[in-house]
Amino acid sequence: MHISEGVLSPAILTGGAALTAIGVGIGLKCIDYEEIPYMGILTAGFFVASLIHLPVGPSSVHLILNGMLGLILGWKAFPAILVGLALQALLFQFGGITTLGINTLNMALPAVTCYYLFGWGVKKSSGRLVFIITAFAAGCCAVLFAGILVGLSLYLNGKAFLPAAKLLVAVHLPVMLIEGILTATCALFLRKVRPDILDGLYV
Amino acid sequence: MFDCKQRFVLLFFLIIFVAFYDMPAFAHKVSIFAWVEGDTVYTQSKFSKGKRAKNSSVIVFDLEGNKLLEGKTDDNGEFSFKIPKQTALKVVLKASMGHMAEWTIPVEEINPEAVSNVKDSYETAFQSRSDVPGRNQPVSSESHGISRQEIKKLIDESLDRKLAPIMNMLADSYGGDPSLTEIIGGIGYIFGLVGVAMYFTSRRKRNHDSGS
Repeated sequence: MHISEGVLSPAILTGGAALTAIGVGIGLKCIDYEEIPYMGILTAGFFVASLIHLPVGPSSVHLILNGMLGLILGWKAFPAILVGLALQALLFQFGGITTLGINTLNMALPAVTCYYLFGWGVKKSSGRLVFIITAFAAGCCAVLFAGILVGLSLYLNGKAFLPAAKLLVAVHLPVMLIEGILTATCALFLRKVRPDILDGLYV
Repeated sequence: MFDCKQRFVLLFFLIIFVAFYDMPAFAHKVSIFAWVEGDTVYTQSKFSKGKRAKNSSVIVFDLEGNKLLEGKTDDNGEFSFKIPKQTALKVVLKASMGHMAEWTIPVEEINPEAVSNVKDSYETAFQSRSDVPGRNQPVSSESHGISRQEIKKLIDESLDRKLAPIMNMLADSYGGDPSLTEIIGGIGYIFGLVGVAMYFTSRRKRNHDSGS
């Protein structure tokens, strides 16, 4: 999912960076003192998740976990993902510093979208089935949207949209499945031990 | 309460690490490594830790950005081409899904004789060889043994042959996977940032409390 340096044109890079800056600003504004520790834990999880690779076709894909971040953090997923991606770029040379803005946007925007689409179901009070389905859908769709957004960035750069997006989504199908299951498992576990984290969603 | 929190943290990292050790590690970054042997440039492209970038396009530019040639990697992620021009070369690899890597070969590495004088040295070599046994001509500096150029060429060839395993080793080790040090270091950075963020928010909170 990380777009390398030198692939995209400066206009797209600055556009992505500007939108990311807005997202990070909103995210930083709603940080609460009590939320910082688990923000850090989720950022660490996101940072390590990209090392879990699945060989698919001529390329390889990795876990992203942006759905889980979005579900628990909401807008705060923006700063969390920015930090995770910056460290990945610096230490692992995944992506790059100039593409940090657009890469953050491509992963964090789906996270926030899924938070609004499926956050209502992932609550203490909702039924078990609804809870599992919405959590799974959040994990799944966050990856799907990220794939579409990456395809869109490549399209804006002059590549044909449909083939690029199709390839990205097809390659990420196993990741979508795994992330859905992982997100549902973690959300269920959280509901058992720390339901207040999930209900903090809508305050 | 604290116990629950600990269990959450533990489970989270347990999932990450079990998955991390169970699956084969293929990194998501591409790298290209290029080296010169005689008049040919060899390149090797891969997703780090071994998986070769098959059927990806390799484009060669000079430093001014003029495209010189283009090709596709084979099943081993390798692609080789004759040096097109006596100049520094920028070899760019374009793999699928927005992945790109490049490698620059400085002009010093490109042996000028290998490019321009290939024909001349072959010709002189042939001449001097055919001259010696053919007609028993008087001994000249040319026909005495081997010409300077020929010696140079022979040395170059044998050096290329001897260095080939080392070049392959370099190509294999270039662009490796993140090491454990880097992973732990990154997690350390995140925890450090958490500390900094908590420091500032706690100060803000304290100011706010004492202010009101």
